Amino acid sequence: MSKINVPLGPQHPGLKEPINFGLVLEGEQVDKATVNLGYNHRGVEKAAEERTYIQDIYLIERVCGICSHSHTTCYITCVEEIAKAEIPERAKAIRVIVAELERVHSHLLWLGIAAYEIGFDTLFMYVWRDREHVLDCLELVAGNRVHYAINTLGGVRRDITPEIKAELLKRIDVLEARTKYYTTLATEETTVLARTQNVGVLPRDLAIKLGACGPTTRASGVARDVRKDEPYLIYDKLDFKLITADTCDVFGRVVVRVLETVESCKIIRQVLNYLPEGPISIKVPWKVPEGEAVNRYEAPRGEDIHYVKGNGTDKPERVKVRAPTLANYHAVPHMLQGGWMADVPLVIAAIDPCMSCSDRALVTDKAAASSAVWSWEEMRRNGIEFYRRRGVDFSKVTLK
Amino acid sequence: MSDLELEERFKKRLEEKFGGDISESTIQRRRRLWLTVKPERLVDLMRFLRDEMGFDHLATITGMDLGENLAAFYHTTDQHNIITVRARPPRATPVLPTVRDVFPGTESYERELEDLFGIKIEGLPAGRHYPLPDDFPAGQHPLRKDWKLTDAYPEPAVKEAK
Repeated sequence: MSKINVPLGPQHPGLKEPINFGLVLEGEQVDKATVNLGYNHRGVEKAAEERTYIQDIYLIERVCGICSHSHTTCYITCVEEIAKAEIPERAKAIRVIVAELERVHSHLLWLGIAAYEIGFDTLFMYVWRDREHVLDCLELVAGNRVHYAINTLGGVRRDITPEIKAELLKRIDVLEARTKYYTTLATEETTVLARTQNVGVLPRDLAIKLGACGPTTRASGVARDVRKDEPYLIYDKLDFKLITADTCDVFGRVVVRVLETVESCKIIRQVLNYLPEGPISIKVPWKVPEGEAVNRYEAPRGEDIHYVKGNGTDKPERVKVRAPTLANYHAVPHMLQGGWMADVPLVIAAIDPCMSCSDRALVTDKAAASSAVWSWEEMRRNGIEFYRRRGVDFSKVTLK
Repeated sequence: MSDLELEERFKKRLEEKFGGDISESTIQRRRRLWLTVKPERLVDLMRFLRDEMGFDHLATITGMDLGENLAAFYHTTDQHNIITVRARPPRATPVLPTVRDVFPGTESYERELEDLFGIKIEGLPAGRHYPLPDDFPAGQHPLRKDWKLTDAYPEPAVKEAK
């Protein structure tokens, strides 16, 4: 049978964010796959060099809309290490609570998306309904549902009052019970099994060789979790299980994530009951001394690593962000090969990809700050110009 | 120093094996070792780290503009410790060998070095830009310190709305 090249993306109804896959199909089967990235580059790292450490917290928060706390925590631990600031225990505990709430939120979001890709929309709706609980929890703790902005240089910005604690404990019980129900559902329901078992296989040695991370590798039987391997904040004091699966397929990734969500609920309960008394932040001078630091963090999608270099001023010399999705991308073509076209969206979704995370960086256009949000007319004109340079003239086309 | 025993052992092992080819090896704190290697021994060092010392994960590569030199920091980890290997090619002829043969998943990190810092990676197959757009002006590398936004975008693409 002759082979057909199918470009998937960067804009495609089967994808949620811009990325391009080049698929070579033989009939309905994927013979070969390649991945192209970079459609979402926003110049965050360059922008970070032009802003102060405090401004950078809020910039880096916007690297990703889902693991925003992961990025700021990883960044701020680097800065605090350079500034030799030892933050209060209570601040560390609150950071962990937000981190684990974020993991619950991210994993439930993912489970919903996976269910949607499977074609199991009822599960998708139920999971997202229950996810509202964790978003409410985050709002309660941080004031925001998405970009929590809880971190600041030297600690956290908001405290957890006894009332918040009581409410969180109540909602965590609901979340845990619901997640346990989804665990049963996702591991026993025949349609879920049919769509996920032996799909998108990534063998253990290949996962390590390609440098994949997070739930993607843990589902291939690799027991790696930064929270266990190199405990940061207060994770060394907590009792939780490192979840792995050895099926190496999408099913394993479902299992790892739902069970991790249950573990996260346990962690949140532990930390809430542990919550030491004391201040929630210390004063750290805004001028950070010369020095460098590199730290890792277990984001919901895997290992996040930041490098920060200080030069003695209030602005960093260099900030480097490597989000987990970028490490997982190169495993995707291997997962797709030999599989079916119909499974492609599910397999891609199974690494829980986040394009803006990996591409980070819209060039900040200072000269045209007012055009930061383009009007429909401007966008249209820019589009016409873009295609005119490529030899297609759309200028005669009128819109009603 | 007893709490840094493991880090000392790493350091000694690397110094014994690579001698004068590595320099500035410092234990920054527990779990963090930094060292500089001559670019021509980079791949050997990476292979040694992976095969002999269990540092089988290259977490990322950080590019740097140090003025006279450019630099690439290879953050390798055995999951418990991070050994950062620095390579500093001169700005005039910024060339580094690819480490893809050792760590196959690092293509995008190396393309970032090429795009954002203009460090030529020898052995990296020709490919698309990453992460810059395909039509980004050639010879411009945004993360170099002397790069200004106006270099690539002399004026806003769309000026005033009608």
